[in-house]
Amino acid sequence: MRNDKIQGVLTPGPDLPSRARFGVGRWIRRGGLLLLCAVGAVLADQPDRSDGQEHWAFRPLAEVLPPTPRDSTWARSPVDSFVLARLEAAGLTPAPPADRRTWMRRVSLDLIGLPPTPEEQEAFLRNEEPDAEARWVEFLLASPRYGERWAQYWLDLVRYADTHGFEVNTERPNAWPYRDYVIRALNEDRPFKRFVTEQLAGDTLGEDAATGFLVTAAALLPGQIGQDDASKRLARQDELTEIVHNVGEALLGLSVGCARCHDHKFDPISQRDFFATQAFFAGVDYGDRPIRTPEAEARRREAEALKPQLVDVESALSQFEPLARTGAEPRRESDPRRNEITFAPQSVRVLRFTIHEANRHPNLGVIEPCLDEFEVFSAGSSSTNVALAAAGAKVTVSGSKLSDKHRPEHLTDGRYGNDHSWMSDEVGRGWVQIELPEERAVERVVWGRDREGQFADRLATAYTLEVGTKVGDLKRVAFVPPLRLAVSPKRNTDRFAPVTTRRVRLTITACTTLEPCLDELEVFSMGPSPTNVARQPGVRLTASSTLPESTEHRLEHLNDGQYGNGRSWISHETGQGWVDVEFPGDVTVDRVIWGRDRTGQFTDRLPTAYRIEVQDGAGRWLEVAGSTDRRPYAPEDKAPPPAALVGLEPGERQEAERVLEHRKTLQRRLTELSQGPQVFGGIFKSPEVIRVLRRGDPEQPGDLVRPSRLSVLGSQDLAAEASDPERRQALAQWIVETPLSARVWVNRIWQGHFGVGLVETANDFGIKGALPSHPELLEWLAREFRRSGGSLKQLHRLLVLSATYRQSSRIDPQALAVDASCRLLWRYPSRRLEAEVIRDSMLAVNGRLDLKMGGPGFNLFRSRGGLDGFPPIETFSGDGLRRLIYSHKVRMERDAVFAAFDCPDAGQITGRRRQSNTPLQALNLFNSRFTLEESDHFAARVRADVLGTASAEVQVRRAYQLVLGREPEPDEARAILPLVKEQGLAPLCRALYNSSEFLVLP
Amino acid sequence: MTPPPSSTLRRPEALSVTGRHLLDRRQFFARTATGLGGVALTSLLGAEGLLGATPPVIDPGHPYRPRMPHHEPRARRILVIFCAGAVSQLETWDYKPELIRQDGRPLVGGPAVTFQGPAGNLARPQYEFRPRGQSGKMISDLVPHLGELVDDLAFVHSLTSKTNTHGPAENFLSTGFVPDGFPSIGAWVSYALGSENQDLPAFVAIPDPRGVPQASVNNWAPGFLPAEFQGTSFSAKDPIRNLLPPDSVTPASDRAARALLQEINRRHLERNPDDGSLAARISSYELAARMQLSVPEISDLSSEPAYVLRSYGADDTANPTKASFARNCILARRLIERGVRFVQLFNGAYASGGALNWDGHNKLKEQYDVHAQIMDQPVAALIRDLRQRGLLEDTVVVWCTEFGRMPMFQKGAQGRDHNPDGFTCWLTGAGVRSGVSFGGTDELGRKAVENVLSIHDLNATLLHLLGLNHEQLTYEHNGVSRRLTDVHGHVIRQVLV
Repeated sequence: MRNDKIQGVLTPGPDLPSRARFGVGRWIRRGGLLLLCAVGAVLADQPDRSDGQEHWAFRPLAEVLPPTPRDSTWARSPVDSFVLARLEAAGLTPAPPADRRTWMRRVSLDLIGLPPTPEEQEAFLRNEEPDAEARWVEFLLASPRYGERWAQYWLDLVRYADTHGFEVNTERPNAWPYRDYVIRALNEDRPFKRFVTEQLAGDTLGEDAATGFLVTAAALLPGQIGQDDASKRLARQDELTEIVHNVGEALLGLSVGCARCHDHKFDPISQRDFFATQAFFAGVDYGDRPIRTPEAEARRREAEALKPQLVDVESALSQFEPLARTGAEPRRESDPRRNEITFAPQSVRVLRFTIHEANRHPNLGVIEPCLDEFEVFSAGSSSTNVALAAAGAKVTVSGSKLSDKHRPEHLTDGRYGNDHSWMSDEVGRGWVQIELPEERAVERVVWGRDREGQFADRLATAYTLEVGTKVGDLKRVAFVPPLRLAVSPKRNTDRFAPVTTRRVRLTITACTTLEPCLDELEVFSMGPSPTNVARQPGVRLTASSTLPESTEHRLEHLNDGQYGNGRSWISHETGQGWVDVEFPGDVTVDRVIWGRDRTGQFTDRLPTAYRIEVQDGAGRWLEVAGSTDRRPYAPEDKAPPPAALVGLEPGERQEAERVLEHRKTLQRRLTELSQGPQVFGGIFKSPEVIRVLRRGDPEQPGDLVRPSRLSVLGSQDLAAEASDPERRQALAQWIVETPLSARVWVNRIWQGHFGVGLVETANDFGIKGALPSHPELLEWLAREFRRSGGSLKQLHRLLVLSATYRQSSRIDPQALAVDASCRLLWRYPSRRLEAEVIRDSMLAVNGRLDLKMGGPGFNLFRSRGGLDGFPPIETFSGDGLRRLIYSHKVRMERDAVFAAFDCPDAGQITGRRRQSNTPLQALNLFNSRFTLEESDHFAARVRADVLGTASAEVQVRRAYQLVLGREPEPDEARAILPLVKEQGLAPLCRALYNSSEFLVLP
Repeated sequence: MTPPPSSTLRRPEALSVTGRHLLDRRQFFARTATGLGGVALTSLLGAEGLLGATPPVIDPGHPYRPRMPHHEPRARRILVIFCAGAVSQLETWDYKPELIRQDGRPLVGGPAVTFQGPAGNLARPQYEFRPRGQSGKMISDLVPHLGELVDDLAFVHSLTSKTNTHGPAENFLSTGFVPDGFPSIGAWVSYALGSENQDLPAFVAIPDPRGVPQASVNNWAPGFLPAEFQGTSFSAKDPIRNLLPPDSVTPASDRAARALLQEINRRHLERNPDDGSLAARISSYELAARMQLSVPEISDLSSEPAYVLRSYGADDTANPTKASFARNCILARRLIERGVRFVQLFNGAYASGGALNWDGHNKLKEQYDVHAQIMDQPVAALIRDLRQRGLLEDTVVVWCTEFGRMPMFQKGAQGRDHNPDGFTCWLTGAGVRSGVSFGGTDELGRKAVENVLSIHDLNATLLHLLGLNHEQLTYEHNGVSRRLTDVHGHVIRQVLV
């Protein structure tokens, strides 16, 4: 028999399946008619698509008053009156209330996704004040854990993920600010209107992160889209379609997105409606947008204010730059095997050997230096090594890379070779300090890198040896200066002994490519407040030649105070050129600072061989600095260590250290500030033209459309010239106003608390969707929700403090026979917990949950993508112990243990999770390394909690309290104790983690 | 709308009432038997038009129980051999003599730009073709072992895809939709029919030894279907994840944990005797425990005689990748033998410039020489083995790939770009006509022109062979009755007996 014609007049009966037209015949035979009469029809004729306005969900909100059930004592709120009236009409009675312990566990898992601690539970159970429940609910709603729990439902809907999806599935590194936004918005109880408007047009409300809502779907990256234009048009149309899916299903509960190719099969949504909805987003591209929060603005201002300070610091630091050495004073070369330093005999207790530089490893560049032995020989005829640990010498070092072969104590162990050596933990630097047990006359030090001659890398090539009688008072007895840093494209300092002059000349004799380029040439005066005298008035610049007819490269750019290629000088000779700075009078200067492009964009045309000369009073040129004592330029080198602080007097060194530290702090702060937060959200532009596409195919464009509301909800066009933000704001306004969105929203909240919504098809309020089980209650709740200003937390209070919610979940077989799926709520419908709640609770119970909020997600996989796919991390620590909502969510690749518990894969929109029972869940939860390790931690926690009590009984009781919030029944304890005594607590913890009681919302 | 034929069997609510009985194993298997026996009755009802488009009703306590198909099935099981990377139809099954003649000339009116960039000139097939079998069907020298089977195969030469990008196209082939997140065909089949083996998963995906395919797990994902119906992935090399606890757990500790869990859950169930979902949780642990025994046993190929290993090439020490793939082929046969409903066997891995799958953009011949060595003999042996054991009587086998390749080489390259406009797959086994070819591409193999077919048609045909009407197999999701075949699909009757 067919019931299509009369379906609309039915209010669904207790056991009516979601698709109301199935099985109606049998339902009527089973007495549904009685119910039908009792409840009364609130719904008129189920319409065809042609008059869809009559469909219940599209009508204005009805004004309804709570009914008066026969039993006037049960209801605690109007919600209960609606529920009880339906139960009474069906001849059913509510279940007795759950005990307070169960209610507390239920509401805690429900609202914050974590069980109460035994201590919280005890305090609650002791509190017999009438408002104890209300207070506990307030506590939960005020907890930041609340937003972390309920945001997940919304993220399921919009299919939030931290990757782009499809085959390459690369990271979407700035997705998480949207996830954090949702959590924050819920914790702050942002009114519904604001929550919706921010997600559609947050850029206009100072909430950029909220626009992540528009672009949560998978998207092809440019490289994945075919090179042909048709592929590009298709990819763009797919992007726009995904936005319509989000808006239609999440906010309106309508599958608007399904009308791309043809008019909707069931709902009054035409293909034109689809494209008119799409037209609201015609100015939206997918991409990273800066988050312009007040904080971000403040950070930007702070960064601006700090930049001049950094310039000052750099300039101060250049005073300590190692002096340039000119002339051919050969450096002493180090021998990998053995080096001897002799000095005049003197009384010594302390020796300090400071390494400034090490040689280059052929493949690794400069790495940490190594010494195999440091020997100190006493003066006199029977000279012996007095720096042996065996003789009481003590060694301290700047830092060590430790291994069996490399330890600081090897320096004084009398053994040679790499296997008995010390390795610094700093690239190219480090120091060793020897304290002799007593003052000795000393005249010689011998050191080597590997006296067995196997290794020649990690060799100190520049160093200082200081000796003395106490640590604070050492005298330099040897100094091999390091080569200065290689030239850098960005910034180079040449410091020399102060000299008084009227002319400074820089002569370039080689450069990396083409003609050499300089963006600025600065000459600093000596003294406490050095200035760049090249910028003085009256300075005259001359050059060997200048690239002709260029606006970017001009001689006067060398002292214009502006950096970068666009304000630079280029010689007109390949590989050479000179510039001459003539001052109006004598200046005393001690350094020249120059660069090729201090903004770091250009690295070509870099001078690599040069000399700097000054003219003396007699007109002679004296070389003060040059490239000969610099390391050779090697662009592939990782940044070499700063060579400052070498060869300085102790006072200078202290000051330099202070400035260096200050620079480090400034740079760190600037890096922090410059990493302005971004969100993968909408990038907005002038709207594209939108046309109806035949069969949804971009290659078959049809009529132009303007943005317009769905015709069934009162079509209203925006002007074709409406700007992008106007379009999105108008849509937000309309969505908030339509009664449909309020119904859809309160229904989602109901579903969160009771497992199934009043409308079972939470994402389909259309004609084929399920009818509400309690239509009047839905209307009343939607009105109440609006009356409260769209407060979500108010709605939670209303529901979780109701008598309906308080019922026991115990099954009454008679009620089950009438209403098997419990749509009438004759008990509290218990159900299996979600994956996130299970994992978070396991960690909460064993005390390892890390409650750090926000920021980039923690990894669930050792690597992401490529041939290895996504090998899971199995042992978690650190950030891996945060709540699962803070994991880095890879689209389609799900967590190896918990995703089996019906975690959505972020492919398609998920309106309601299922609670399936699969063997993979059992295997994962019982056998995974995660469970086993966390069980061990759980066992350890229990033992620690009952410290001093070795008794298995006490331990078992504590474990039960932590994980189940109860004590074992006496015979239960008797049954399990022998196994616990035999195998320890861990197997019990593993079993408890797997127990139905732990995994089910009671 | 028609009420379902058997209210007790088809109504989950009715079963929940007796939730506590679900623990009774004997009754469990008795019900299973009823389910199997019901097939004939269902097909009778179906023939009389009494069956509506009701989606399968899943007993939450026993999601894997066999369920009745819509009509008498030709096949009870299906093996999909999925060659990732897009195998060139022109180097294998689709003989184009005109392409040999036009070698080196430009394709008049052809696209200037294809997926990866500018198109070059037409290029002849890189392998010789010769007539094979009784039928004399022209097959290339790339796949000589499969060529010998030509009289058993039914070729479809006119398939088309909706996209020219690998990942989306794999999605399309496996799920009927281009976007991520739709249920895979194996999930649909498990949802529709349940399992015939209560110790093994209903749906097993066997990834290639070289790595996962491009759309990865989406090829065997449940999408929005209940998680019970997802494919379980393992191979001869890599076991099911978490099948067994880490070695650090002693057998005694493991036994203790099991005993404790059983005790705790038993008491909990006693306190909630009518809750069917609790019984279902317990039975999911029981199935897991059975899988812990059955899966290692089925993955252990040591009982296979040497001549079997040899025939598949599993003993080929000179080519370990081939040997490893051959072991996967033997595993596939063993799974089919035990009644696993849906086996998805992958050949070819992730995007790798054609090095590890069939994506021959640049050095097609050099790479195909390698890939065919791995694929040809083991797959041919698998089909022979299935036939010899009588398993092809009720198993359908399909060989497929996400799309084909262009008749031109890419500009400046020795390989072909993506071509979704005409490519080949073949079927064999239960219900399939032997030695036929259906549909065709133009004389250069650029586009399907004769009896043009879509992936939806292929999927509709596979469901049909399993006794399922692709228009009736639906699942409500977000307001849409979703189908594997979207709103398309026609059974390709020309390749069926």
